[in-house]
Amino acid sequence: MTYALTIEPIGEVLEVEEGQTILDACLRAGIYIPYQCNHGLCSTCKVEVVEGDVDLGDASPFALMDFERDEGKALACVCTLQSDVVIEADIEEDEDAEYLPIKDYVGQVTEITDFTADIKKIVISLKEDIKFQAGQYIQLAIPGVEGSRAFSIANLPKKADHIELHVRKVAGGLGTAYLHDILTEGDDLSFSAPYGQFFVRKSQHKPMIFIAGGTGLSSPKSMIDELLDEGYSQEITLFHGVRAKADIYYQDYFQALAEKYENFTYIPALSENKQGDDWDGEVGFVHEAAVRHFNGSFAGHQAYLCGPPPMIEAAIRALMKGRLFENDIYCEKFLSKADGGGDKRSPLFKRI
Amino acid sequence: MSGKRKSKLGIKQRYSMLTRGLGWDTTYQDMDKVFPYDNYEGIIIHDWDGWEDPFRLTMDAYWKFQSEKEKKLYAVIDSFAQNNGHLGITDARYVNALKLFLTGVSPLEYQAARGFTHVGRQFRGVGPRVACQMQAIDELRHVQTQIHSMSHYNKYFDGLHSAPHMHDRVWYLSVPKSFFDDARTAGPFEFLTSISFAFEYVLTNLLFVPFMSGAAFNGDMATVTFGFSAQSDEARHMTLGLEVIKFMLEQDERNIPIVQRWMDKWFWRGTRMLALVAMMMDYMLPKRVMSWREAWDIYFTEAGGALFADLARYGIKPPKYADIATKEAEHISHQAWHIFYNYTHAAAFHTWVPEKDELDWLSEKYPNTFDKYYRPRLEYLDKEEKAGRRFYNDTLPMLCQVCQIPMGFTDMDDPTTISFEVSEYNGDKYHTCSLGCRDIFDYEPAKYVQAWLPVHQIYQGNCGGAEVPDVLKWYNFNLGADNLEYNGSPDQKLWDEWQAHRKKA
Repeated sequence: MTYALTIEPIGEVLEVEEGQTILDACLRAGIYIPYQCNHGLCSTCKVEVVEGDVDLGDASPFALMDFERDEGKALACVCTLQSDVVIEADIEEDEDAEYLPIKDYVGQVTEITDFTADIKKIVISLKEDIKFQAGQYIQLAIPGVEGSRAFSIANLPKKADHIELHVRKVAGGLGTAYLHDILTEGDDLSFSAPYGQFFVRKSQHKPMIFIAGGTGLSSPKSMIDELLDEGYSQEITLFHGVRAKADIYYQDYFQALAEKYENFTYIPALSENKQGDDWDGEVGFVHEAAVRHFNGSFAGHQAYLCGPPPMIEAAIRALMKGRLFENDIYCEKFLSKADGGGDKRSPLFKRI
Repeated sequence: MSGKRKSKLGIKQRYSMLTRGLGWDTTYQDMDKVFPYDNYEGIIIHDWDGWEDPFRLTMDAYWKFQSEKEKKLYAVIDSFAQNNGHLGITDARYVNALKLFLTGVSPLEYQAARGFTHVGRQFRGVGPRVACQMQAIDELRHVQTQIHSMSHYNKYFDGLHSAPHMHDRVWYLSVPKSFFDDARTAGPFEFLTSISFAFEYVLTNLLFVPFMSGAAFNGDMATVTFGFSAQSDEARHMTLGLEVIKFMLEQDERNIPIVQRWMDKWFWRGTRMLALVAMMMDYMLPKRVMSWREAWDIYFTEAGGALFADLARYGIKPPKYADIATKEAEHISHQAWHIFYNYTHAAAFHTWVPEKDELDWLSEKYPNTFDKYYRPRLEYLDKEEKAGRRFYNDTLPMLCQVCQIPMGFTDMDDPTTISFEVSEYNGDKYHTCSLGCRDIFDYEPAKYVQAWLPVHQIYQGNCGGAEVPDVLKWYNFNLGADNLEYNGSPDQKLWDEWQAHRKKA
């Protein structure tokens, strides 16, 4: 049994399991509600229940006063849902967020091609147009696999009659094995979309740095396509990190863009360049390439990070060392089903 | 849902209108003259508006919340008193933890109120100023409610009658007092690093939680309820601690080494003060919550580890000597209890040798150290006491120049050798108990040579007289009641009478 939780003022709708707390559901969906103690004692995570029935859980009478209970307040860390619910939380509205509604789609696979030995491009064509923000992702249902899998959309939002996905075959992964080995052109796939808070904050008009690892290129591709298409005037720099030369894809595409647009720079980097490979570009981890390119100084930029957790962490450290902080760093971590809950974090950072 | 009015201000905007909107830049006087303290520590702030308000509570909302908290708390305190709640505690020995808390910790809340009032005036940024002013009022509320929560015990038990007086004079209470004196006499940013960050964030779970869970485990409803009431404020204090650190680290990279030095210093000062909590947890609670070692693992090694892993992104390293502090977790409670067992004739609470099942519990919780170093000593002291030779140490101990704890702690790799360090300043020698305290001394010797060291003061004749009883009278002790061994104390007699009555009934 699940309930729909609508979060105002941002209008995000989440699916919440029975017994799952509001805070847990929000944090898992990448929505930060301020919190501290996580067990009903401190009242940092207070929210207002605007509609629906909730169980206030084990909220301390000192953290949630009687008059607040009467006013419909709840502590997100211990509050669970008993119906579909609308809450209002202390979340800042994001000028660049479009708050698009999530819908279910069914589409037909019209293209499967190999980008590299273990990455495929999968195009799903749609009968009705899809609305998403560049950088957002879908939850794809895969036949015979329990639960859904998240994939970022790689194409320009304007081209709304299809979506393009980049799928790496995860060792031992059931979902990606199906997509690589069984899925064929002409099959139908269903998914829901759009999800996520990973989109460009162009209203701030800052130069942008994109750091992508492997198939983490998908979101940045959509974002950069759109920025260039709209004539964004600030500098845009894309770093794409892969292991070896054979793992690079879209190289020609981005090189062509770099030639066409003066404000766009494309820098691929190989972490395991082999002797004898025909490569005169950047060698080393992708964040190291970014440090070299910017002489270690990132202040005044905005950074968008997309890829596996170790790459994101290394990039965050490099950016912060170069004086760029949480307010200007946005990231989308690629967790596979096997990564689980992640490690223990302090409340020092909210989003990164 | 429908009809959402977009015109309503968000929480952040509302808060900003009601706080920051009230500040202004002075014109008749230079801002540097109006706020002379917020840059002399070397902390460079480029943009005070870069301060993210850690909580958004306006004054009118604050009064409303706090008054309801008070109503609830005082209802519990009243019913506790009316129902003779003191009869429901596990054992009278428990009250000694309250004595330590009331004389050692509650006055710190008042010190915090003074400190936050001071720095709440000194920041030119409106954000931190408002946050500090609000915390100052919280702290005043905490000291008041703590005194009221525990005052019921003062009707029946000894040693609870003169907490503020004792805090200013008694030798072991100079440990927490000097901690806060050191913080309050530092600059405003160091004060926030020491109190809001090191004390309220990193170490609070090792100070506050043990006392409050100790109260819960030992049937002390009044103190537990105070704890809940305060904890809803503490969350604000913790977020202030994190925000000030982020603010300093993000404003200018030249702030990083200063912040690192303060973290090293205040971590060490904090762990030294926690020795008092460690012995409280392991020795003074008749019904134990967890061992000090376990608390350290959970709250410092794990939670602190996650924090410092995140801080590493700023280039901040874990506090210097954290490895030594973790080794100390195996020893410190036993060594501290032993010091107090030695000097309990000069303390306003009782000590005792734990009973056999309690010793067994310690053996189980400290398999690496207790049986080897500490149990035999306690069993010897127990035998001596039973034979009518209760040991009291009649010489005055040497104190660490920085933390002011008697120099009884050992080298952690060699637990039978006393640890001490020597520094020289202006031709005089100064002694510290550890590398951590020595570093603190060496960085600011001119500050620490001024320390009011209780033992020195006694020898200089500033503490009521030349004999120990003179000094204890100057402390306001009721001799023979507040001090000495628990066995045979008036507290114990009274408790045993109550228990006997209860059996009869």
